[in-house]
Amino acid sequence: MRGPLLAAAGGAMGGAGGPLARTIRAKLTAALQPTHLEVRDDSPRHGGPPGAETHFGVLVVSGRFAGLPPLQRHRLVHEALRAELAGPLHALQVIARTPEQWQSDPHLPSAPPCLGGSKREKRREDGGEAPGQQ
Amino acid sequence: MRAAVRTGWRIGAAAAAALRGRAGRPLSQAAGEGGSAEGGGGGGGGSGSREAVERLVREHPVVVFMKGSPAQPLCGFSNAVVQILRLHGVEDYRAHDVLQDPDLRQGIKDYSNWPTIPQVYLNGEFVGGCDILLQMHQNGDLVEELKKLGIRSALLDAEKDQEKK
Repeated sequence: MRGPLLAAAGGAMGGAGGPLARTIRAKLTAALQPTHLEVRDDSPRHGGPPGAETHFGVLVVSGRFAGLPPLQRHRLVHEALRAELAGPLHALQVIARTPEQWQSDPHLPSAPPCLGGSKREKRREDGGEAPGQQ
Repeated sequence: MRAAVRTGWRIGAAAAAALRGRAGRPLSQAAGEGGSAEGGGGGGGGSGSREAVERLVREHPVVVFMKGSPAQPLCGFSNAVVQILRLHGVEDYRAHDVLQDPDLRQGIKDYSNWPTIPQVYLNGEFVGGCDILLQMHQNGDLVEELKKLGIRSALLDAEKDQEKK
C-alpha cells in the first residue's frame, strides 16, 4: 500500500481519522488484539473527497493469524467489520501478518503489481506458511 | 436462448432497480460492497442464484468476477487482477463484469461469503481477491496453482531467461 498509514492509537498523522476509521480501528482491535495496526483511508485515491471514508486499507499484525492461510486471515478481518462492509465501507485492502512475519519483514508491499520486474524471494521456511505479503 | 433470456431479465431488473432508485433486488440490502451472509442472493434461478454462480465458476479453470472487463477494467483492484494474470501469460479465462449485473454482483458475494469484488476462482474454487492474488504472485504460489491447472506461467520462462544471463 502506498502512502503513509495512520498509526493506531495516537494517530501519527495528527488525528485518529474520521468516525469510520475509528470504528474500524476499534473493531479490529477488539476482534484480533493486534500487536500492530494501521488503518488508512484511501477514499481520495478513488475519487472521493477527503474524509469520504469509503475505501480503506488495513495492516493487521496479530497472533490470531498464526497457522491460517491468507483467505482465512482475511475472513477474520471481514468478520470483524461485517456491519461496516454491509454499509459505508465500499472497499477494503487487507494485509494480515503474524507478529513473527511482521518482525522479519516490517515493510508493506508496493501496491501496484510489478510489471515484469522484481522476482520475490522464494517462500520462507516458517512452518509452511506463506509470508504475509498481501 | 438462455443468454437471450438472461439479457432480457437483466434489463428488466435494471429498469426495476432504477424505479426503486437502488441497484439490486430487495433482498440485497448492501449499500455498497456489503457482504451479506443471507443464502441465495439471486433466488428463483436468477443470475445471482447459487446455481447460476456455480455454473459460472466451473465453466473454466480460471474465472474472475470483476468490475469492467479485462480489456477495460473499471476498478484499480480489478485491474490489478487482470495485470497479474497477464504477467503470468494467462489471457484465456472467463471474466464477468458485475457492473453489468446487479444480481450477479450480490450473488457472487453470497456464494463466496466475501464482501468485495474482484473475486478469483481457480478450478471452481474461490482463492481470494486482489490482495491475495498479489501475495500468491509475489511468493510463487500462483505459479504452482496455475501448474495444477495445467497452465504454465509465463514467468517460468522469464526466470529461465534470467538464469541464463
